[in-house]
Amino acid sequence: MGKFKDLFVKRHTEFSPFYRWHHWIRFFSIIFLIISGFYIAYPFLSPEVDPNPTGFLYAKGRTFHEIAGFIMISMFIGKMYYFFFVKSDRDEMRSFKDLFSVKKWMKQIGYYLLISKHPVLSGAYNVLQLVAYLALYLMLTFLIITGLILYMHVYHDSFLAFLNTPLTYLEVMFGGLASVREIHHVLTWGIIVFIIAHVYMSVFNAIYGKEGTIDSIVSGYKWEIPESEK
Amino acid sequence: MEQEKLYQSLSDRLGKLSKFPRMKDDGKSIASLLEEHGFSRRDFMKWAASMTALLALPASFTPLMAQAAELTDRLPVIWLHMAECTGCSESLLRSDAPTIDSLIFDYISLEYHETLMAAAGWQAEETLESSIKKYKGRYVLMVEGGIPSGESSFYLTVGPKGQTGESHAKEAADNALAIFAIGTCSSFGGVQAAAPNPTNAQPLHKVTQKPVINVPGCPPSEKNIVGNVLQYILFGTLPALDAYNRPKWAYGKRIHDQCERRGHFDAGEFVQEFGDEGAKKGYCLYKVGCKGPYTFNNCSRERFNQHTSWPVQAGHGCIGCSEPDFWDKMGPFESPLADRLYHSVFRGLGADATADKIGATILTVTALGIAAHAAISVIKKPKE
Repeated sequence: MGKFKDLFVKRHTEFSPFYRWHHWIRFFSIIFLIISGFYIAYPFLSPEVDPNPTGFLYAKGRTFHEIAGFIMISMFIGKMYYFFFVKSDRDEMRSFKDLFSVKKWMKQIGYYLLISKHPVLSGAYNVLQLVAYLALYLMLTFLIITGLILYMHVYHDSFLAFLNTPLTYLEVMFGGLASVREIHHVLTWGIIVFIIAHVYMSVFNAIYGKEGTIDSIVSGYKWEIPESEK
Repeated sequence: MEQEKLYQSLSDRLGKLSKFPRMKDDGKSIASLLEEHGFSRRDFMKWAASMTALLALPASFTPLMAQAAELTDRLPVIWLHMAECTGCSESLLRSDAPTIDSLIFDYISLEYHETLMAAAGWQAEETLESSIKKYKGRYVLMVEGGIPSGESSFYLTVGPKGQTGESHAKEAADNALAIFAIGTCSSFGGVQAAAPNPTNAQPLHKVTQKPVINVPGCPPSEKNIVGNVLQYILFGTLPALDAYNRPKWAYGKRIHDQCERRGHFDAGEFVQEFGDEGAKKGYCLYKVGCKGPYTFNNCSRERFNQHTSWPVQAGHGCIGCSEPDFWDKMGPFESPLADRLYHSVFRGLGADATADKIGATILTVTALGIAAHAAISVIKKPKE
């Protein structure tokens, strides 16, 4: 194998089946939400001017945006439950410990600046990663709330009727429906930037950190060189 | 059953009200006045039926509405002008011919209205003071216009005594039975309260402690103005309100929900630019800036000038004029909300920046950063 030496590597489970499934369902729903969202904001596709009834393209775009939205919300709720209540997932919680360590911060930034070794982590995520994820969840929360407020004025019954009072309160707090719509749009850009950075970081860590972790989100496994082999 | 009960209670109320004396002693009833101006009983009943429908009451309530209209001479209205353009008064008065609405309003119930009255100067001031005194706690106050307040209140100085508009509004509100803010300016501040709000114009509800019913619009339709008076005579209570204190019977739905072009919206058939093929066919105006989806009002149902037309019918999108801060929030008026411009303070840098432009810029910077980082990480070995 040329300059590579043969190593004995340990396989351990990095992501549970739930974690992987939720990740990919969420990924595809978010991608669809972004594309259909931009279409709703500015309908770049229009049918030819035609006197006959058309396929109701815009209404369909909105419908599927809403469906994808509810899929995304259910994944959000599922992941929240997983994060707070599932015992085998305590690793995520443990990451918070590192937030208060200046050394871990310095080392982590140093690692990304390619000048120091990766710090040993207390939990699943490093500090920068954790802060990025917290920002993601904050953005998602506001996207969900603003999305529901916008949906409330399209569909008035059942679940949305139940949420009407609190959502109306929030609508006024955001400064009216137009502001709600604007916040929804601006936060989407935050999500786009997050996705790009997230994918790059995963690839970077998998290659540069020699952990092959890009597979783990599909297979669930992570490959590690045991201490005895180093 | 419910309906009969309501009918009975409203009927009782009107019965009691009719026992009160008329405000003016010249003895002309509304019925005779209408006849004098060429309205037949039939015209009047038709009008009453349409007002009943406007307030979302059953058609069987039409006789009550007619009776309520005939009792408007028991309810004095004081109308104040603040910092405004008189557009709301115009909306009420400038119909193609004198309508029943304007007749009832101008001839009967309006006790004080600066545009309409003949009095001026000291005389006018005397009229205002004496009507407030005479009808203390019994009149309906309607205020048009934003109110420069606090240290800036001098920007609106009215009358021979040089009083500020704010003090006028406060005094009139303190002694009123019910208060309606007519138009977007007195409801939410309107155009003159738009950033940077040089005169510190405030909506009426910021100036008084009493409950204020907002009837926004720039201008609101004459039906929404008169409808509020009739609603008050009929029920004797303030109407059901939304989160911005707007009567739900008028502002409960979005322009978009009942728009005549809504089918084209769902079909994805949009006017791409003014004057194109789609515009001729009456396609949806969303892409040329219609703000109907964010605006609560009944224009798409009631229209203006006796149901003649309204902006969307005339081929221009809604500008969202009945929403709070519409001047700052709904612009640019002729492109979708996503094209809103963010005026930055960096020496005008990005004065034409939309959310998408800023987003794409950040994305480009991110991509460049990633490319640079990736390139360096290929050369530089990981620390073992």
